[in-house]
Amino acid sequence: TYVPSPPDREVSRAPTQIRPRLPLLARTGTLRFVFSEGIAAMSSSWSRALTQISPYTFASIGIAISIGVSVLGAAWGIYITGSSLIGAAIKAPRITSKNLISVIFCEAVAIYGVIVAIILQTKLESVPSSMIYNPESLRAGYAIFASGIIVGFANLMCGLCVGIIGSSCALSDAQNSTLFVKILVIEIFGSALGLFGVIVGIIMSSQATWPAKTA
Amino acid sequence: MSTFTGDETAPFFGFLGAAAALVFSCMGAAYGTAKSGVGVASMGVMRPELVMKSIVPVVMAGVLGIYGLIIAVIISTGINPKAKPYYLFDGYAHLSSGLACGLAGLSAGMAIGIVGDAGVRANAQQPKLFVGMILILIFAEALALYGLIVGIILSSRAAGQWRLVKH
Repeated sequence: TYVPSPPDREVSRAPTQIRPRLPLLARTGTLRFVFSEGIAAMSSSWSRALTQISPYTFASIGIAISIGVSVLGAAWGIYITGSSLIGAAIKAPRITSKNLISVIFCEAVAIYGVIVAIILQTKLESVPSSMIYNPESLRAGYAIFASGIIVGFANLMCGLCVGIIGSSCALSDAQNSTLFVKILVIEIFGSALGLFGVIVGIIMSSQATWPAKTA
Repeated sequence: MSTFTGDETAPFFGFLGAAAALVFSCMGAAYGTAKSGVGVASMGVMRPELVMKSIVPVVMAGVLGIYGLIIAVIISTGINPKAKPYYLFDGYAHLSSGLACGLAGLSAGMAIGIVGDAGVRANAQQPKLFVGMILILIFAEALALYGLIVGIILSSRAAGQWRLVKH
């Protein structure tokens, strides 16, 4: 049988109240939620651990990852492309101005990270301290965290990919100038990956709704 | 009074599943695009007329990113604790769905990259190898499709069909 969670709860930070409940869970052996006068005693140790962490921790780390790891990907791509471009331009200086577009594709990845970080930080609201561990607050924190991870790591991979292809583009353009546009098509496929990350990150950030203060 | 039903920490696993789906698929797509792109660029120096035909591995790697995008959006719109309760079961189902699709996409991207790189370089020297390269790439793409199918099946389990007994 299944006991649903109570609709309202007050938060009491007394972990010792949870432990006497464990023998009851072990004896019954079923997945049920036993609620004390404070926190619902979770049957999963993951839940017990996660409800002790403030949602603002998750949200802040998510925002930091979205900008930090995106910029890491952009930088990685730029130095891969830039070093190949400069080396190839020794014997073919005509390629420098056209192949700067590969560097711009990598830079766009960093800009995606900045945009999403700014959007995510507008989703941060302050709630009264009694409602920090409200389920809705927890969900908002997790949503911002996951959104930041998505955008950051998708942009990391995209920047790396565009950088590698940009370096090949410069090297082949130096030998045969008709190849530039054809290899650029491959770079466009690569830069679509960063866009996927931004799309999903923004969709997920719309789930970051904090509880109303008057509740 | 909260209208939030279900388990408090279940959205953590659900959102992490969506993140895993997209991030790992993008890793695979990036590897496939970059590795085969380098092969195309190297080959194109000698045979520029074959470059547009050789973009096929790049397109197939890009599709992996779209698979991850599909699963990530399905999961993300399935987490709505105000409309229907979101228990730990749903969270774990979404996590497994995202990991299945994402890691399958990562492995398929690695395969597509390596096969595409070798294939386009060999195709430049022996034009009859084009069909063979396409066949091998299709088998590699099927791996990501298996991950997408299993991901969709798992995330449909999270829609609450298993709860039969009401207290």
